[in-house]
Amino acid sequence: MTTAPLPVALAEVLARGDVWCGDTLPGLTEAGIPSGHAELDAELPGGGWPRGNLTEILVDRSGLGELSLLLPALAQLSAAGGWLALVAPPWLPHAPAWAATGVAPERLVVVRAGRQAAWCVEQLLASGGFAAVLAWPPAGLDARTLRRLQLAAAGRPVFACLWRSTAAGASPSPAPLRIALAAGEGGLSLRIVKRRGRPAARPLILSIPRPGRTNRVVAGPALSPVAARSAALAALA
Amino acid sequence: MLACDLAAAAAGVAGGQKLSTALGLQPGLAVGERDQALERKVLESLACWAGRFTPTVSLAPPAGLLLEIGGCLRLFGGAPAIVETALAGCAEQAYSVAWAAAPTPLGARWLAQAGNREVHATLPAMQAALGGLSCTVPGWPAGIPERLGAFGLHCLGDLARVPAAGLRRRLGNGPVDDLLRARGELPDPQRPFVFPQGFAGDLDLPARVEHAEALAFAGQRLLAALSGWLHARQLLARACTLHLRHDDGTHSALPLRLAEASADDGRFLRLLREHLGRLQLAAPVEALRLAADEVIARPGASAHLFEQPPVGEGAPACLERLRARLGEGAVRALARQADHRPECATREYEVAADSASAGTSTAAFAAPRPLWLLPEPQALAERPDGPHWHGPLQLLTRGERLESGWWDAGEAGAAGDLQRDYFVASNPQRQRVWVFRDARGWFLHGLFA
Repeated sequence: MTTAPLPVALAEVLARGDVWCGDTLPGLTEAGIPSGHAELDAELPGGGWPRGNLTEILVDRSGLGELSLLLPALAQLSAAGGWLALVAPPWLPHAPAWAATGVAPERLVVVRAGRQAAWCVEQLLASGGFAAVLAWPPAGLDARTLRRLQLAAAGRPVFACLWRSTAAGASPSPAPLRIALAAGEGGLSLRIVKRRGRPAARPLILSIPRPGRTNRVVAGPALSPVAARSAALAALA
Repeated sequence: MLACDLAAAAAGVAGGQKLSTALGLQPGLAVGERDQALERKVLESLACWAGRFTPTVSLAPPAGLLLEIGGCLRLFGGAPAIVETALAGCAEQAYSVAWAAAPTPLGARWLAQAGNREVHATLPAMQAALGGLSCTVPGWPAGIPERLGAFGLHCLGDLARVPAAGLRRRLGNGPVDDLLRARGELPDPQRPFVFPQGFAGDLDLPARVEHAEALAFAGQRLLAALSGWLHARQLLARACTLHLRHDDGTHSALPLRLAEASADDGRFLRLLREHLGRLQLAAPVEALRLAADEVIARPGASAHLFEQPPVGEGAPACLERLRARLGEGAVRALARQADHRPECATREYEVAADSASAGTSTAAFAAPRPLWLLPEPQALAERPDGPHWHGPLQLLTRGERLESGWWDAGEAGAAGDLQRDYFVASNPQRQRVWVFRDARGWFLHGLFA
């Protein structure tokens, strides 16, 4: 006589600690920094931007809202008294705009690193005194340098973010989180190239607050007086 | 002859000989004259350094230093730990040390001079150790060991067993009192070393130094003395200057400035190394002088009971090192400035952790401001359909007119009088930019990143 297997609810099995579900994201030991976008937090391991791990953001053009994507997290870190560092930024930070988003300019350090950007980032990460380090390293960072940076960030409560071009996305990197950004219909299109856990299925479209109207153009730009004059001269001739 | 190196000792030269004897033994002997003033200076510098262990330091010239460590055993975790740290510090500064730790100052000195190198925590242990020493005590009148030998007394232990009154009659009061002080039977107050009001340490280099990096080692001695002095006087230094005296009689100064005041010589040393790495010496250096320029009283603060020790060196120390490597002006914090001209709305200043230099302006602009500003407005190409930047630009806001700055028009380095109409614009790649139009045409000035 055979005994029927005991009826066990699936939920009970799944609740066991030694059963691993393939589709769950692993919880990180340290909680992430909430990104301010619920749909993005749901996709990021740890429920936000990771601390103590390198994050790569791959983007080719500026002015898409790529920095605004991070601002809620940066404002939160800055409000908690943390220091933020910008290493080799591509342009000058405009203090009133940063202040308006909640980042304290007096704790925002700009490092003009020249060719020593990687060294600076490593020092800043290893110092443990910074809440976030955003770096625009020169193109062609080798894997060894990236590994050094990842090791420097490991175990420290710092949000380490490297800005690289999408061309760098093809080469492997030790950074546990890599995100490619592009401008999309209706917002910023965000593709998670690499993350811990299962790979992301489809790109996210995030609506980032942007200046200016989105639907309607105000007016066609008039020619400047100089250009208008030269056009008039051309018409006369 | 006072001392000689190993090669000379191998030739038979020894301390206590006449110079003529020594030269006879080793004709090529290089002789240096003894400079007692310099010895005193070195001893005082070492006393300053010892201020990191205990505030009660006494000089015992010509070559002795007494540290009263009974009061700070708990702080350092026991006498062996202090001794180990002190010896490591001496080794770093390349001093060779004979040491002993004992309950009485004279006992410790005698044991150290005899090469004892042990910690005697209790009086009986020290008395037992003293008992084994020979009667040849430095500082006692000559001939005493021979006289004692004639009595059949060969070590200090024998002396302690004979009646003191008889010894006094035969040797005089001095040696017997010394013996009692060393054994802890008579009080032996010491004159404490007074840490100077300001710090200035001198160091004559034994040889001329031509490479800047080589100065780091000599600088280390001075910085160690500075650190001990700061500890002893409960001060922190924010800036100090290393003055270099060159062999052609000229002087140069190397200022060291920390982002936050500190008494840690390691931090000054790291900073010094970074500076020396970039320094080109105009002429070989003969002597160094380290002066503390800016010192502040150490703020007292209670530590938390369950505080986690912070990992890493912290932000100010890191920024300091970055600044030393990258040069002045490369590491800056930002502040807002009350000026409508975008070029002037951001002020940069050197980071200093303890001088809060917040923005002067809290004005918020109603119109959007970009996160990135171009260093110089970039002229845009104009086509019949308007300005182009990676494609035709469409304006997304009404114009914002900025007319300001007539007061510094014509000044060198000033933004001058601006009359501009600013717009937020977008190109076919959906890049949001900040453009303006003025009398000269269309310009790109910022990016809404």
